[in-house]
Amino acid sequence: MMNFKTWLKSITFYEILVGMRATMKHLLHYKPITLQYPHEKRTLPDSYRGMLALLRYDDGTEKCVGCDLCEAACPSRVIRVVSSEVPGEPTKRFAKEYYMDMTRCLFCGLCVQACPVDALGMTREFEWSVYDKRQLHLNKQQLLAIGDRSYPVREKRLELQHPNVAFFNVAYKTLPQKAS
Amino acid sequence: MTEIGLRAVISLAQIAAVMGVVMLTVMILTLAERKVLGWMQDRMGPMEVGPYGILQPIADGLKLFFKEDIVPAGANKFLFSLAPILALVPALIGFAVIPFGPNDTIEVFGLQIKPFIVSDINIGILYILAFTSIGAYGIILGGWASNSKYSLLGGLRSAAQIISYELNVGLAIVGVILLSGSLSLVKITEAQSGWFWNWFVIALPFPQIFAFVVYVISSVAETNRLPFDLPEAESELVAGFFTEYSGMRFAFFFIAEYANMILVSCIAAILFLGGWNAPAPFLQFNGSLANLAWLSGIFWFTVKVYFFLFLFFWIRATLPRLRYDQLMRFGWKVMLPIALANILITSIAAYLFPR
Repeated sequence: MMNFKTWLKSITFYEILVGMRATMKHLLHYKPITLQYPHEKRTLPDSYRGMLALLRYDDGTEKCVGCDLCEAACPSRVIRVVSSEVPGEPTKRFAKEYYMDMTRCLFCGLCVQACPVDALGMTREFEWSVYDKRQLHLNKQQLLAIGDRSYPVREKRLELQHPNVAFFNVAYKTLPQKAS
Repeated sequence: MTEIGLRAVISLAQIAAVMGVVMLTVMILTLAERKVLGWMQDRMGPMEVGPYGILQPIADGLKLFFKEDIVPAGANKFLFSLAPILALVPALIGFAVIPFGPNDTIEVFGLQIKPFIVSDINIGILYILAFTSIGAYGIILGGWASNSKYSLLGGLRSAAQIISYELNVGLAIVGVILLSGSLSLVKITEAQSGWFWNWFVIALPFPQIFAFVVYVISSVAETNRLPFDLPEAESELVAGFFTEYSGMRFAFFFIAEYANMILVSCIAAILFLGGWNAPAPFLQFNGSLANLAWLSGIFWFTVKVYFFLFLFFWIRATLPRLRYDQLMRFGWKVMLPIALANILITSIAAYLFPR
């Protein structure tokens, strides 16, 4: 009996007809999941790891202190920092030059995590296709400009900040802690 | 002399009209295939060129026309150039015997011509079988002349596949020929006039439903369409026999494939679904409108052909590709016995119940 059933199914192409019914169902209840990309874009999450940027404080001074930790953390040697003293203030340092070779970046975000002063941020920009590879070799001014246009509000959201940085914020104590 | 000249002019005009319709259908098909496949897979298909992407075929044609024409190093130049033509010409030449509408004759300048068929020869179906077999040469030679392993493998597969399935096509048709008693496509269609139960697919004394299934499956295989697209299997052979082709030569192969699709759909519609005949006599123009009967004839023929073309897309959206041994086993061990048994039973039925 069972054999007869399978035989009947195979000569009537039953399985194929089931498949064809499924495709027809999709045709009749046509609901595309595609977005017409250049015309319509999806909203990206806040934690999206896009183009890297250098950030400033609210008063417009650079956050970066030229500590080289990002350079040390970077697995693909994207970052090159030339650190130097702030003229006239021997105790303070800053990044005199700061280069990122974005052709090699793999957007892991380790540099952002490594930064002790939150001077680096990952923006939600991703449309960085260029005709010339050299245009992806960014200097400090360009990275600051990306940060300026992507972070109109300078501070990261408090719960996303590193605890060492967020600790000094007055709101930090009222923030619900993550169960760990 | 003037009569021959006039006939030549009229024939050329008919050929031009048929070619125009076929090319237009190819253009529609390239778009329709991508759209239907997209809809079935929850995508949109081409959307950029023109409203809802309806101008995409024109953009594709322009792109192919202006592309660089590359002949790979080590290729046999003569055969490499000949192969696309050898693939395209047999695909288009088959339309010469396809009746697109009723078998009316009209008088033009004192000459009797049939407007809806280029040439009503009495061995129409044989002629089409003969010429579609030549199309395989284009594919095999194109695969061989490219001097590429992918092309050669595609060509070889195509040779084996077309030989295996050509046989089934031929045998599936025999049942219809036995019932209609003619090889002419016009006579075969006329034998199915009246109600839809006169169509050979369900006509008594012996319905050709098995032959119909065999024919449809074999014709999918013969045109190298999914799930039988082993000659051009994208995931294994890059693009099979036209891996090395670009520009207009590629376009020739492409048009040939779609023209072949239209051709086998036309034959399926004529042989099994009654060609230009309406499903019921009252569904075509009758009585006072009998002069317009050709309009409904063409309409029903188009509907049937497009049904088959849609079936091609539908199957493509549903099924994955067969393995090579599955393809051969299916062709020789399943389809061939069914086709042979169909001939046997049909000939007995045709002998016992002569029409």
